[in-house]
Amino acid sequence: MSDFIQSLDPRIVRLQVREDQPFEPKEAGDQWETYEVFHQAKTGARLIHVGSLHAPSPDLALVFAKEQYGRRSTTTDMWVVRTADIFTLHRQDIDIFETAQEKLHREPQGYMEVRKYIEEFKKRQQQEGTSDGSEAGSH
Amino acid sequence: MYGGGYIPGSASPQETPKEDPEKLAEFEEKINRGEKIEPHDWMPYEYRRQLIRMIEQHAHSEIIGALPEGTWITRAPGFKRKLALMAKVQDEVGHAQLLYSAAETLGKSREQMINDLLSGKSKYSNVFNYPAKTWADAAIIAWLVDAGAIINQTTNSKGSYGPYCRALERICWEESFHLRYGYDTVVALATGTKKQRQMVQDALNRWWRPIMHFFGPPDKISVHTEKLVRWKVKLATNDEMRQQFLNMYVPKIRELELEIPDPILHKDPETGKWVYSDPDWDEFFRVINGNGPCNKERLAVRKKAEMMGQWVRRALHNPRQQYVTPLA
Amino acid sequence: MDPKQEAIKELLIKMADDQLIIGHRHSEWIGLGPILEEDIALASIAQDKVGQSYTLFQLLHDQFGTADPDTMGFLRAENEYRCCHLVEYPNGEYDFSLIRHFLFDHAEYHRFDMLQGSTFEPIRGIARKFKSEIKYHILHADVWVRRLGTGTEESHQRMQAALETAFPLALGIFEPSPYEQVLIEENIFPGEDALRQRWLETIQPILEEASLQMPDPSSVEPAYGGRRGYHTEHLAPLLEEMSWTLRYDPEAERW
Ligand SMILES: [Fe+2]
Ligand SMILES: [Fe+2]
Repeated sequence: MSDFIQSLDPRIVRLQVREDQPFEPKEAGDQWETYEVFHQAKTGARLIHVGSLHAPSPDLALVFAKEQYGRRSTTTDMWVVRTADIFTLHRQDIDIFETAQEKLHREPQGYMEVRKYIEEFKKRQQQEGTSDGSEAGSH
Repeated sequence: MYGGGYIPGSASPQETPKEDPEKLAEFEEKINRGEKIEPHDWMPYEYRRQLIRMIEQHAHSEIIGALPEGTWITRAPGFKRKLALMAKVQDEVGHAQLLYSAAETLGKSREQMINDLLSGKSKYSNVFNYPAKTWADAAIIAWLVDAGAIINQTTNSKGSYGPYCRALERICWEESFHLRYGYDTVVALATGTKKQRQMVQDALNRWWRPIMHFFGPPDKISVHTEKLVRWKVKLATNDEMRQQFLNMYVPKIRELELEIPDPILHKDPETGKWVYSDPDWDEFFRVINGNGPCNKERLAVRKKAEMMGQWVRRALHNPRQQYVTPLA
Repeated sequence: MDPKQEAIKELLIKMADDQLIIGHRHSEWIGLGPILEEDIALASIAQDKVGQSYTLFQLLHDQFGTADPDTMGFLRAENEYRCCHLVEYPNGEYDFSLIRHFLFDHAEYHRFDMLQGSTFEPIRGIARKFKSEIKYHILHADVWVRRLGTGTEESHQRMQAALETAFPLALGIFEPSPYEQVLIEENIFPGEDALRQRWLETIQPILEEASLQMPDPSSVEPAYGGRRGYHTEHLAPLLEEMSWTLRYDPEAERW
C-alpha cells in the first residue's frame, strides 16, 4: 500500500499527498502586503473602490486585480495602490465631517429668494410708473 | 458555495472585557438605525470576535469547498460543462479571497487565519468533508449546496458589518450563476438516460443528510444567540433557514421525479412547516470534530498546496513590505 | 480534399489540441495555487485556453465538417491528437508550470498575430480576439518569470532548471507540418520556421532580464513527434480522464 492519499481526485493522486503532510505555520509577511483596487466600468464613469488584494509588488497587484476584480464586468480602467500609502483619518476623528452650523452660504438652497425680490421690485416699478403716467416694463 | 452554513463556535467564550456602557449604547443605536459598522469604528470585543470567527470560517469553507468540486474539473463532460465548472470553482476561490479580506479588516491577518485552519483550530463547513464520487455529486453540490449557501449568504448580507455585507453582495451575485449552472446540470442528468438518472439519484442519496446538516442543529439544541441577533450578526435561526430551503427545493427535486431519501418528509398542513427525519446530529458532531470521510484529505491537501507555494511566496517577499489591514 | 484544405485543417487541429491540453493542465492548479490571487489569475488563463480550443473545433466543424467539438476534443483516439509534447507533461511544481506557460504563450501570441493576415478569411477575426486574451497571458507569464528569475537563490535555480527541462519540449511546438510549403505559398500561415524565429527573438531578452540562461537552440534536440500523433506517456491517462464522464454512458445525448 502506498503512503499517499488515494483520492477520488486524479489531480490529488498526481500531487502525491501524505495524510501526515507536514506544514510550517506561516510567518507574518507570507501573504505579502495589501493593495486597494479601483475600477472603472465604462468611460465617463468614476473609478470606484472595489476591494483589496494581496500582492508583492504593484505589477503583480495589477495582474491579480485584472482577474479578481475585472473578470466579471466590463472594465475601461483599473488602478491599484498600496494600502499603506493611503492617507486617511483616525476613525474617532471622522466627526470633523459633521457640519454643525448652517452652511447655507455655500448651498444652492441659500439663494432661493431672488424671484421674490425681483417681483417686489417689479411691483414697485409699476406703481411708480402708473403714478407718473409713463410705460413700465419691457422695451 | 458555500456560505459557511452552520459551524459551531468555541464551547466556552473567552472572558469578555467589560464594555463602556455609553459606547455600547451608541453602537447598538447605530445598528438599530440600520447603519453599518465600518472597520475602525468602536465595537464590542464580542462583536469583533464573533464576526472574525464567522467570516473566517466562511472563507475557509470556500477554499476547502473548491476541493470536492475541483475533483471533477478534468473529468467534466464536454466543453460547456468544463468551462462552467472551472469558472465556478474559480469563483469559490475568489469568494475566499473576498472573505479573508473582509475578516482582515477586523484585525486578524490572513496568515493567522490559514494557520488556524490548518491546525484544526478553526473549522469550515462540514458538508465538504464528504466525497464527490461521481460527476452527479458535483452537480448536486453545485445545485443544492450552493442553494443552501445562497439562503445563508443572502440572510447574512443584511447584517451590520459593512465589509462583510459588501463582499456578500458580490458573492451572492456570482452564486446565482452557480445555482443555475447546478440546476441545469442536474436537470440534464435527471431528464437523461436511465444510467444518468441513476447516477444523480445515487448522488442525491449521498448528499441529502449533509445538506440537512448544513444549516446546523435545530434551534432547541443550539446555543443562545440573542445578543448576536440584536447586533445583526445572526439574522435567522438554523431552523428558519432549513425550512426556507425545503420550501424552495423539495418541490423542484420532486418535479424531476427524484426520490428524497427521507420517508417521512412532508409539509405539515397545519403549521406550514416541513417535518423530516432526525438527520443524526451525532454524526454531524463526529464529522465536525475531524472524523468525517474526507477531513484528513482536505487538510492534508491544503497543507501540501501551501507548502508547494512557499518558495514562490518567499521569492517575491519584499523586506521593505509593510502589512496594514485592508481599508474597507 | 485538396492540399490547401488539408493544410488548414491540420493547422487548426494542432492549435486546438495544444490549447485544450495546456488548458487542462493549468486547470489542475485551481484551488491549489501558491496564493489565492494567483489561483484566480491562472484559472482565467485555463478557461481562455479551453475556450479558444472550443472556438477552433467549432470552426473546424463549420468549415471542414469535422465531428462536433465535444467528440473532437474528448473522444478521439490518442494517436489522432496533434498536440506537442510540451503541453502533455504533468504540472509538477510551479516553476515548470510557469516556464511552460511563458514559452507556450509567446509562441501563441506570434502565431495568432501572423494568422491575422491569413488568406484563410475565417481565422482572421478569431486570431484578433484570441490575441487580446493571450496578451494578458503573456503579461502574467512575463511578470512571474522576471520576478522568480531574480527572486531568491532557490527561485532562480528552480526557474533555470525548469527552463532547461521545458526548452527542448518547447522547440517541439515548431515541428514542421507536411503542409508547410502549401501554407506559405498560399499565404495562409508563414510557417513554423518563421514563427520560431520571432519567438526566439522575443523570449531571449525577457529571459535575460530574468537572469535566466536560454539554452542554445542549435545544441538542443527538439521534442518532435506530437504533430504526427506520437505522444509522451502522459497524454493517454489525461485523455482517459477527460473522456471519463462522456464514456460512462455513450447513449447520453446531454450531460
Ligand atoms: Fe461561494
Ligand atoms: Fe458557489
